[in-house]
Amino acid sequence: MSTSITSETGEPDSEETVLRERIAENPGPALFWLAGAAVLLALELGRIAGWITGLGSAVGFAVNVIAGIPRWIGGNVADATVPIAEYFVGDALSLLLLFGVASLLVGLAPWSAADRFDFGASPRTMALLERAAVTAVLAALAVLFVFTPVGGLVRTAAAAPFDLLSSLPTITDHEVISNRGHRTPGGGWEGTFLGLSPAVAWGIRVLLVYGYALVLIGWVWKGYEIFRTHYRQADWTPRDDTFDRFRSHYWGLFGLVVVVLFIATALWAPAVSPVPAEENIYSPYSYEVEYLEDGEVATTTIGNANLDTQSDGQNTVGPMSYDEYDRWAPLGTTPNGQDMLTHLAYGAQTSLVIGLLAIGLGGLIAVTMSLLTAYYKGIVDVLTVIASDSIISIPAFLLVMMLSVIFDQGNHVLAEPLNGGVLLGLIFAFVYWPGMWRSIRGPSLQVAEEEWVDAAKSYGQTPANTMRKHMAPYIAGYIMIYGSLLLGGVIIFTAALSFLGLGINAPTPEWGRLVSDGQSFVSTSSWHVATIPGLVIVLVVTAFNALGDGLRDAIDPEAAAGDANTDDTGAAAAGGGG
Amino acid sequence: MSRWGYFFRRLLLSIPVLFLVMTFIFVLLRMGPVDPVAARLGPEATGAEAARMRERLGLNDPLWEQYVDFVTDFLVLDLGQSWVVYADWEVTTIVMNSGPPTLWLGFWAILLPLFIGIPLGFYAGLRPNSWSDYTASVSGILWQAMPNFWLCIILLAVLRQTQGGGWLGFDWYAFGPEIRSITGTPSLDFLSWSNPFGAVPFPTGIDWSALAVDVKLILPPALVLGSASMAAELRIGRTAILETINSNYVETARAKGLKSRAIVWKHVFRNALIPLVPVITNEAFLLIGGSVIVESIFNINGLGRIFFRAMVQGDLPLAGALLFIFTLIIIFLNIVQDFLYTIIDPRVGYER
Repeated sequence: MSTSITSETGEPDSEETVLRERIAENPGPALFWLAGAAVLLALELGRIAGWITGLGSAVGFAVNVIAGIPRWIGGNVADATVPIAEYFVGDALSLLLLFGVASLLVGLAPWSAADRFDFGASPRTMALLERAAVTAVLAALAVLFVFTPVGGLVRTAAAAPFDLLSSLPTITDHEVISNRGHRTPGGGWEGTFLGLSPAVAWGIRVLLVYGYALVLIGWVWKGYEIFRTHYRQADWTPRDDTFDRFRSHYWGLFGLVVVVLFIATALWAPAVSPVPAEENIYSPYSYEVEYLEDGEVATTTIGNANLDTQSDGQNTVGPMSYDEYDRWAPLGTTPNGQDMLTHLAYGAQTSLVIGLLAIGLGGLIAVTMSLLTAYYKGIVDVLTVIASDSIISIPAFLLVMMLSVIFDQGNHVLAEPLNGGVLLGLIFAFVYWPGMWRSIRGPSLQVAEEEWVDAAKSYGQTPANTMRKHMAPYIAGYIMIYGSLLLGGVIIFTAALSFLGLGINAPTPEWGRLVSDGQSFVSTSSWHVATIPGLVIVLVVTAFNALGDGLRDAIDPEAAAGDANTDDTGAAAAGGGG
Repeated sequence: MSRWGYFFRRLLLSIPVLFLVMTFIFVLLRMGPVDPVAARLGPEATGAEAARMRERLGLNDPLWEQYVDFVTDFLVLDLGQSWVVYADWEVTTIVMNSGPPTLWLGFWAILLPLFIGIPLGFYAGLRPNSWSDYTASVSGILWQAMPNFWLCIILLAVLRQTQGGGWLGFDWYAFGPEIRSITGTPSLDFLSWSNPFGAVPFPTGIDWSALAVDVKLILPPALVLGSASMAAELRIGRTAILETINSNYVETARAKGLKSRAIVWKHVFRNALIPLVPVITNEAFLLIGGSVIVESIFNINGLGRIFFRAMVQGDLPLAGALLFIFTLIIIFLNIVQDFLYTIIDPRVGYER
């Protein structure tokens, strides 16, 4: 866990060993903290293993797509020239890709082979040779994985323990605290947790989920405090002031709380929803529900039951009520008769994946470009200005719409996961990086002029190291501010697209589609279908805006008090459009 | 760099930007995953018919030749024909027909926030940390976070609810000029045109009742479309007032005994307007994006709704051409914004 502390506080690598020694000297507080972490982990081991499996399959998908790019380019080149070119170009590009990965690996590795074997070549050639060697190893591995059964075996072996672990029960499981059961003729409940009514059982489970999330955050904060009091060498760092400023910023704290609730809802979507999405939304005719009818317990498929519990103006299952099949519906049902809260919780998941993908990837591009342009200036800067100006001058919403429709109609591979969600995230990253780059351009140009950057250059630091160690940390804060402000915009845009029937297709739940489904019932008894998702969007977007404001006031107090122009990026980013 | 040097550099930069945008649209339309022939004839089209269509669309020419044709056509605003939505109509004709409702909507969507957002922001800024300030600020923040599509359907439901007398007897249908439906395209025939000065038609008279109907039809969608800008103007107007009110020259004015009314009107307002310039020009972005949704929900047959239909029905040339027009408008507005800045704010160009 020591690594997590260092990465969290952004200590440079060279201090890591020192931190390790400091912990070895006084292991008490660290062990105490680790024990708590172990308890938290044990309680939710199954779910965490499930997340890791999900993450693993996402990484696998990404690797597959990236590995397919050289072949695709090769195919295009072959169409324009001779067919044999496909193999040459494809293989050459694959090697180039692997060389890039190798350079990254060599850069990240703490030691370098070039230092061990010294045979008199210049450092430049040595570095190149080292990378070439790693590339060769990677290429051999890739061939082994693709053309022999080894790949499949390794994949199964790696996934097996996590699959096993993810089947373990956790305290927030439906099996442990069940809210699905039916009334008994005697007036009680059967099949629910301790025979309580489904509403109470569900309430207990939801409280456990948010309680767990809060304790988790408390524990991370505790870890930082332990680090600060016992293991940090400096008594004070500028970051302390940042935290203090944020702690007294109530508007920002409100945003943080709501954002945490949103993320917890997304991560624990199966536990928050009263019925599993698989049974209620994806394949309702493969599962059955038991209920009490005329004093006897009867059985029907969930699909049939859903047909009777539609909220379509004539017939309504409103918020906080039971439907006629003894199912507890905390937020009522949708016009299809499915459970509304299940839709909302899984919709939060969809929004979170899209938002994180968009802001993560877009922010990465923006930071890289801002470092490059601030460091090299000149022609790189002009080219980036032109590229970003071009993307910005195309109306963002229309561009996103067009890209998503074109990829969707072309049945592109990327349009498959999440029924277009991943594709949408990538499109947002492409459309939003220029805006983010513009927002952090000022600060990064300022940093590039600082004396310590000059000093690093004159000490012979490589450009990559100068940018990473001496410039990037100062930009990280700014990208967090704009990322938070933009996330609200991404959520609104996603919802707007699915409201129009584009972007994310059914059955993947999405908030905008709920509003669209319920739009004709707003003035009927089924008002909740369109109203509640809309209010949730307003709340979450406001929270992200508030969090952004809070972060800005904490990280960069002068900008907040000073120039009104800094405001317009944020204001334009988070609002409207959709 | 001098102020005008900065302006001309920006002007020069917009040329490569224009070409890059055209290249991008070309790549999307011709090299993207959608096959134009299949989009036009259906996915099963094969054989002679598909080959003929391929020849007609010029898809057999070398790619660079297609690109040069495409760019020259776009530059002379020969935007081609629609495939599906208005089959075989010229795109320029379609734009001429459906542009006016969008312009009418955009006009009101800019006007309403200007006359609601800025005064509210200034009002809040002049009374900082009072209850009226908090109310205005919080409602601005919430207003900004509301998605347009949701506001649209809630507003529609509320207005429909008033039929036959709602709260306090208010009936939107009977209020002012009579309308049959609260959604629909404004007819915009309130001006009577004649040609007193030769060939160019000139508006000579106004039909006031037709104008009132058009205004009434456009007010709800314009209110929704302008909502985000209204909130932005409120926020920035408030900050701008707070900033100018604490600046040295206002202090000086107060020290020399100027009346507070004179300070506010002569020194505070005019300077507070400067940061609002980019916000107002930036509204074009929001309006163009938002018009798709608002026009679709309010059944206004404008450019946004046509773009949406073109997208849904796979009418790529129409969608591409509309995207190009919108981009042209935005590039033009950016130049206007830089021009305004150069005139209004003498600081621009020295700092950057």
